[in-house]
Amino acid sequence: MISFFSKLSLNNSSKQPVEVAKPAYMDKSATLQELGYKDENELRETIYDYLRTIRDPEKPNTLEDLKVVYEEGIFVKEPTADKVPVLRVEYNPTVPHCSLATLIGLCIRIKILRSIHHPVKLDIFIKKGAHTTEDEINKQINDKERIAAAMENPNLRNLVENCIAEEE
Amino acid sequence: MASRFSGALQLTDLDDFITPSQECVKPIKIDKSKTKTGAKIKIGEGGYFDVSSGTEQKLKKVEITLADCLACSGCITSAESVLITKQSQEELLKVFSDRKYTDSKGVVKDVSLIVISLSPQPILSLAARYKLPPEDATNKLAGYFKSLGADLVLDMTIAEDLSLLEAQQEFVQRYQDQQADPNGKYLPMLASSCPGWVCYAEKTHGNFILPYISTTKSPQQIMGSLVKQYLSRAKELTPGEVYHVTVMPCYDKKLEASREEFYNDLLSCHDVDCVITAIELEQMLDNSNMSLNDAESSSLDSPWGEGAPAAVRRHRGSGSGGGADHVFLYGAEQLFGETDAQLVYRNLRNPDFKEVTLERDGKEVLRFAIANGFRNIQNLVQKLKRGKSPYHYVEVMACPSGCLNGGAQVRAGGGQARAAGGEAGRELVLRLETLYSQLPLATPAENKFLRKLYTDWLDGKDSDKAKAVLHTTYRAVEKSDIALNIKW
Amino acid sequence: MFKLELIQNLAGHKGIVWNVSWHPLGKYFASCGEDKTIKLWSKSGQDWAIKTVLVDGHQRTIREVAWSPCGNFLASASFDATTAIWDKKSGEFQCNATLEGHENEVKSVAWSPSGHLLATCGRDKSVWVWEVAGEDEYECEAVLNAHNQDVKKVAWHPSLDILASASYDNTVKLYQEDPVDNDWTCVATLHSHESTVWSLAFDKTGERLATCSDDRTVKIWKEYKPDNQEGVVVTDREAVWKCICTLSGFHTRCIYDIAWCHKTDLIATACGDDIIRIFKESEDSDPNAPTFELLCTKKNAHSQDVNCVAWNPSGNQELLSCSDDGEIKIWKFTEA
Repeated sequence: MISFFSKLSLNNSSKQPVEVAKPAYMDKSATLQELGYKDENELRETIYDYLRTIRDPEKPNTLEDLKVVYEEGIFVKEPTADKVPVLRVEYNPTVPHCSLATLIGLCIRIKILRSIHHPVKLDIFIKKGAHTTEDEINKQINDKERIAAAMENPNLRNLVENCIAEEE
Repeated sequence: MASRFSGALQLTDLDDFITPSQECVKPIKIDKSKTKTGAKIKIGEGGYFDVSSGTEQKLKKVEITLADCLACSGCITSAESVLITKQSQEELLKVFSDRKYTDSKGVVKDVSLIVISLSPQPILSLAARYKLPPEDATNKLAGYFKSLGADLVLDMTIAEDLSLLEAQQEFVQRYQDQQADPNGKYLPMLASSCPGWVCYAEKTHGNFILPYISTTKSPQQIMGSLVKQYLSRAKELTPGEVYHVTVMPCYDKKLEASREEFYNDLLSCHDVDCVITAIELEQMLDNSNMSLNDAESSSLDSPWGEGAPAAVRRHRGSGSGGGADHVFLYGAEQLFGETDAQLVYRNLRNPDFKEVTLERDGKEVLRFAIANGFRNIQNLVQKLKRGKSPYHYVEVMACPSGCLNGGAQVRAGGGQARAAGGEAGRELVLRLETLYSQLPLATPAENKFLRKLYTDWLDGKDSDKAKAVLHTTYRAVEKSDIALNIKW
Repeated sequence: MFKLELIQNLAGHKGIVWNVSWHPLGKYFASCGEDKTIKLWSKSGQDWAIKTVLVDGHQRTIREVAWSPCGNFLASASFDATTAIWDKKSGEFQCNATLEGHENEVKSVAWSPSGHLLATCGRDKSVWVWEVAGEDEYECEAVLNAHNQDVKKVAWHPSLDILASASYDNTVKLYQEDPVDNDWTCVATLHSHESTVWSLAFDKTGERLATCSDDRTVKIWKEYKPDNQEGVVVTDREAVWKCICTLSGFHTRCIYDIAWCHKTDLIATACGDDIIRIFKESEDSDPNAPTFELLCTKKNAHSQDVNCVAWNPSGNQELLSCSDDGEIKIWKFTEA
């Protein structure tokens, strides 16, 4: 944009876009304590407990068995200005061209949203370098409209429900 | 690079994530085994191994063939990548040099005869591109193929004529069937020579629309039967030894040639082995730093004998092959005794949707339409669905302006850029239409060689053999409801 | 200084409320969402309340609703792949036409300023233009396959038959009809966003466009016509669109919607950080490199993502918003 205007050689055209300071630093641990977590680790453990029992869509194992999810892959980020916790969850597909990686991402998102008792902002990512099309998959599993539509497809919904159902 | 498939197929391209560079992996659900441990899969060098039985067992990698792609309601993108390897310029050049090819079942076959069949539209496209009169372009192209190693270069008049005659006959039959059974799904008869349209209908509208689609094979596929069944016998060759290449105006024709319906189990080969398009021919010439003008001229071959002189010809009517005109005139005569029916088309919503009617005693008895391009296909399909279609026959083509503007014709300006809708693009189509109208006229009804073919080869008109050789079937592609395969 | 004052919190939908749309006169509005219903709201006395609920029009989520400029028709776009047209000819609102053709989810629907055309878009990557061809008759005018991903939003120029679309492919495209063969073509592609463009809005002149994205920025684009005074190079006699301003650093998550009031010139944004923000161009702003001021940040506007914002077309500074939290809120923008 700037370079475009320098080509135009207009006066005062190099004016920078308006920037404002980031919202005041929010105290992460205060937010978590308000929601009833002792600390960051307790939230991470809670989330991991939700994820470990998810079953792989294709294989008869859990995501924990397959090491697709792992506790170190859960990150508690700065909360939003409205004090909503922000979580980043990384997962590691078993093979780099796993065609079910998006489905696993979908299961992770739905499982957390169903289980957690308070609002949360979720960012789900494939472990860096773990998939040949990780950028595409990351984009899809963080698009809430695509997720909402997917969960209205009865076949997909069934599959996700089966994967995230708790064993009796 | 923009897809060269027609717009109809681009829409059914639902796959967001399988790009041509990525392998399409068919997911398989492994049922939970009764043992407590379940299957253990180990990833090792060269594949996946099932180690649950104690010893390593290499899991079979699932290969995806073009047939799988076509049977899937998902992507065309991966079909495209398969096509690029199976029906590419590179593959074609390899067949010319090695005189052998690998068929769709993976069997390597020796080639004794390479036959090239030329359809009129890509010739006109190349004629315009290299500023040659159509006849010269034809001869140069024949010479170019011969220089590469082709044994026979043929025009497709016979196949085009046969296709039109069969379609005319089919229409009259459908009309009579509809009269006898007003609730039956016989009319409108929808043309079937555009594979983009057929593929879209199969994938999107399935059993609702398929009964209306003409069972008559397209000229390309009739030519395939002629070459592989009739010509190979005349040359005392097995059909598998004959490698048959067609030159076509669109990429979708590659999909058509690969259809299972056009794989002959008895002869164990496809009717058409490779489809090459105008734009690819331009590239091939570019790659060898030559212009079509540089090629030696050679005349077309005429292996059919008396009564079938070789020449690339036009048919009365549209540049897509004249389906509507021929069926209309024949129907008017056979059904209403009208020997002098006038074909006066009226443009409807746009120049790509026009209709023509026949009146008897002040009453409309036939209403035909030509619908080109995806938007008009949509309106036609929606009219049919709402029971509001007034038509007896519709010539349907997926590309705006029909086959002369096929998706793989050389683009205006010569470059890769597809000047879709641009002024130059429109002028080019007009130029091709003019060139087409100047080609010598073919009149199927007067083709004496066809009579011989029907008698000698097809056991007469309307015979079971004629049905088997000149007609085909369609099948609805069920939407995949296997959750593992759903693209969302 | 400036504030968004809550007039009323409107509950009624079950689940996500995706979209709200003012009737052109600004006296009532429609809302839709995950519960597959359309609710029509109007004021009774001091309070806004549900007047009518439209059900059984769609099998899946209703993503967007749009009033025709005459106010007599309501179009609804659904994940069930159809677009329904509702009208009140029989006294009650009824669905009298259904537009079919999209392969899957329809995500946006918009009427042209004349009301003669309708545009839809969806996950099948296509944008469709439909013509109102008679009573309850709609004909497909064009299927535009210019985007190579999911198309999220369509919007018309405020006075001309120029259509804009925003996509998951990070671009915005503009389309116009070629009078020679009545064929619609893509006339401009706007590259600059680094992630999905979720929504867009023209200003009242139609010469500027505001877009919002998952890249957490808002961009303002300006049209440069052939032979423009600024000397911007224009090829093929088609106008070019240039990004003249990027608002970054304000939004902390994906921005789902943007609304540019044609009466007050205020810009409102709906963000995944649950906040509604109001911007206005500075007084002394250079038209070719404008600056926009953040007038107001409404924290906790909703308890979850804000999906849509809509200014009352009457210019009375009322703003509607709706959210994943199932609520619709009606706000008044005021100078304190």
